[in-house]
Amino acid sequence: MAQYSEQVDGVFVALADPTRRSVIRRLGRGPTSVGELAAEFPITLPSFMKHVRTLESNGLIRTVKTGRVRTCVLNRERLELVDGWLAEQRRIWEERTDRLERFVIEEEES
Amino acid sequence: MSRTGFDPELDLMVERVIRAPREALWRAWTDPRRFEQWWVPAPALCRVERLEMRPGGAIVTRFSEDGSDFVPHLEAVVLVADELERIAFTNAIDSTWRPADPQPIAMTAEVLLDDHPDGTAYRMIARHGDPATRGRHAEMGFADGWGTVTEQLAKLVER
Repeated sequence: MAQYSEQVDGVFVALADPTRRSVIRRLGRGPTSVGELAAEFPITLPSFMKHVRTLESNGLIRTVKTGRVRTCVLNRERLELVDGWLAEQRRIWEERTDRLERFVIEEEES
Repeated sequence: MSRTGFDPELDLMVERVIRAPREALWRAWTDPRRFEQWWVPAPALCRVERLEMRPGGAIVTRFSEDGSDFVPHLEAVVLVADELERIAFTNAIDSTWRPADPQPIAMTAEVLLDDHPDGTAYRMIARHGDPATRGRHAEMGFADGWGTVTEQLAKLVER
C-alpha cells in the first residue's frame, strides 16, 4: 500500500527534528496559537514557521486561522500511524506482504 | 466478498496488486516449504509444523532466531479455505480447537485473491478483538505513547 508507506515516511520526516518533536509534544496538551508556540522556542519566527509548515504538510498538525490568530492542532490520527498496537500489527503485515510479493515474483521468474 | 465488517479502530487491510497469478499466491500460502520462506523476516527461520488449509485445519509454525532453537510462533485454526480465492484463519482458537489467549493479540486474518490485468489483486484483512481489555495504548496518554514511537523508530532504523 504505497499510500500508507508515504504517509509513514512523512511522519518520520516530521519527527526527525527536535524542534518539531517539541511542538508535537506541546500540542499534545491542546491546541495552541503559532505566536504562543513560537515564543517557547529560541529560534527566529521564519525558521519556526518552516517547522510548522513541515508538520502541516506531513499531516501531523492542522492549522486554523481565526482573525489574525493561527492556531495549531495536533492530528493524532496521523501520529497513530506509527504508534500503538494496531500500527505495530500493520507494520508486521505490510512487511510480511512485501516478503510474500518478492517470493512469488521470484518464483514466477525462475 | 468479505463476510464481516471492517472497523478502522481495530482492523487493518493490506491491499496490493502483485505481478503473479493467483495460483502462485495460493501455493505460497498453502505449501509448507514455500510458506516457510516468506512468513518471518530473515535471518530468522520459520518451520511449519502443520499447514492444513481446509476449514477446521491447523496452522502451527515455529520460529528461530539462530536456526537451532525453534520456539512456538503461530498457532491457528483455518475457518475458510476456498481454493485460489480465499483463506481465513484465527489464532483465538488453538490447533486442538481450544479457546486460546494468543500473544500479542487475538486476530482473524483473511486473504482474498482476485484476478487483475497485472496479476493478482491481493487483499489481507486482519481483524482484532477490542484491546481495551488488554490495557490500551491510547488510554495511557500521549506522554507514554511517545516512548512507543521512539522505540518503533529505533526498530525501523535498525532494520
